Amino acid sequence: MRRGVFCFLILHEEHIMKRFQRTLALVVCCSMLNLSLLQSAHAVMVSTEEVARLAVTGAPDPGHARLAAVLARDNVRSEMERLGIDPASAQERVAALTDEEAASLADQIDKAPAGGIIGAILLVFFVLLVTDILGLTKVFPFTRSVR
Amino acid sequence: MLAMLIRPLRALWLALLVTLLLAACASTPLQPVALTPGASTRAELADTPFFPDDSHFCGPAALATSLSAVGLAITPAQLVGQVFLPGREGTLQIEMLSGARRQGAVAMVIPGTLTALKQEIDAGHPVVVLQNLGLSWAPSWHYAVVVGYDLERELLLLRSGPMRRQEMTLRTFGHTWQRSQYWAFVALPPGRLPASVAEPDATRALVAFERNAKPAAAVTAYRAALQRWPHNATLAMGLGNALYGAGDLPAAAQVFRDAAVTHRLAAAYNNLARILLQQGHVAEARQAAARGLVLAGPLHATLLDTLRDIEAISQPGS
Repeated sequence: MRRGVFCFLILHEEHIMKRFQRTLALVVCCSMLNLSLLQSAHAVMVSTEEVARLAVTGAPDPGHARLAAVLARDNVRSEMERLGIDPASAQERVAALTDEEAASLADQIDKAPAGGIIGAILLVFFVLLVTDILGLTKVFPFTRSVR
Repeated sequence: MLAMLIRPLRALWLALLVTLLLAACASTPLQPVALTPGASTRAELADTPFFPDDSHFCGPAALATSLSAVGLAITPAQLVGQVFLPGREGTLQIEMLSGARRQGAVAMVIPGTLTALKQEIDAGHPVVVLQNLGLSWAPSWHYAVVVGYDLERELLLLRSGPMRRQEMTLRTFGHTWQRSQYWAFVALPPGRLPASVAEPDATRALVAFERNAKPAAAVTAYRAALQRWPHNATLAMGLGNALYGAGDLPAAAQVFRDAAVTHRLAAAYNNLARILLQQGHVAEARQAAARGLVLAGPLHATLLDTLRDIEAISQPGS
C-alpha cells in the first residue's frame, strides 16, 4: 500500500516534470519563433534609424551590438553590480536608447556626468563656499552672491 | 600638532589661489537675450508642479516635474528605477532623455542659450537644465527645471532640489550652466514641439522616440515635425514607417512614394516596394525596387533582397 502510494508519487512527479518540460519547450519555441518573425520583419523594411544613420555617417554603426558587448564583459558586469543596476532593468534601459546613444554610452559610461550633489571634502567645502559668495558657483543655498 | 595647523592653512591658500584663477578665467558669460520690441521681460509658469528633493534624486525629480507639467502625471519615485544609477548617486544625461521617452514623451535637447530658455517659457514649456553647481575639477552635477525669468531683475526662476521657487541671478546661472556645456531639454507629449529646437536635434529625438513608442504616437509626432520641416527626408521616412507599423498601408505607401520622388531615397523605394508587394501589386513593386536599386549605395544588398522576394512571388513554383 505504502509502496503503491510512493510509486504514484514518483509517477506523478514524472508526469509533472514531463508537463513542465513540454511547457518549457513550447515557451522556448514560441519565443524563438517570435524572435525570428521580428527579425525578418525588420529585415524587409529599412528602419528610420538606419535612414538617419546613413544620412549622418553614410555607413551603419551597430551601437547596440557594441554596447551589448561592452555590458557583457565580466569587469563591466561587476561594475554594474557595484553601481546597483539590476541586469534586467539594464536591458530595458538599453533597449530605450537609439543606436547612436548606445554607441556613445558604450564610450562614456564612466565619463558622462551623473547628477546629484556629491559629498564635498573639507578643501572643496572651503573653495566652494568662497566661490559661492563670489557668485561663481551655487552649492550652498544659504550663500548670497555679491556683485 | 604643527601639521594640524598647517593643513587648514594650506587649504585656505589653495582656496584663495583657485578663486583668483577662477575670477580671471570666468569671463565667458551667457549671451544676453535678444529682445524684440514689445517682448515680455517677465514670465513664470507658476503652476509647474514641485517635487522636493534633498538627496541625490534631482534627476528623477526634475524629470517628474517636467513631465507632470505637460500632463504626463508621474512621481520621482516611479522614475528612480528607470533613470537612477545608485553607485554614481545620480542620473546620466542620456537616461534623462530615454526616461522621458519611456513615459511616452518626446524629449528634445534645445540650444544652450538664454534666448532659447525664454522662448520655451513663453511657449509654456518648463526646461530641464543640467548645472554643475561646483567646479569643473570638483563637480557637483545637478538637474533643475527652469520655470520663469525676470529680465529686469536679471533673474531665472527654478524648481531646484529642495527649493520650490529658487531665484538665481542670470550671472550665477550662466556659470553653473556653462560647466555642463549649456545642456538643456524640453519633454512634451507627441505632436508638440519645443519652440527653440533645431532641426537635427528634433530629428534625432523623434527617431529615438519611434523606437519604443506606439506607432500611432510616432505618427502624431512625425506629422507635427514635418509641418515645421517639410523637406526633411528622415522625418518623412519615419512617418512612413510609423504608418506602416500602425497598419495603415495605403497612407504609408503614399508617404514613401512622395519621399522616393522628392528625395530620391533608395530606402523609400525599398519600403514602398515592400508595401506594394504585401498589397499584391507585384508589377508596381518590381518597378519601385528597380528604381531604388539604381540609387541604392549602401542599401544595395537590401534592394537586391527585395527584388528577389518580388521575383519569388511573381513566379510561384519555379
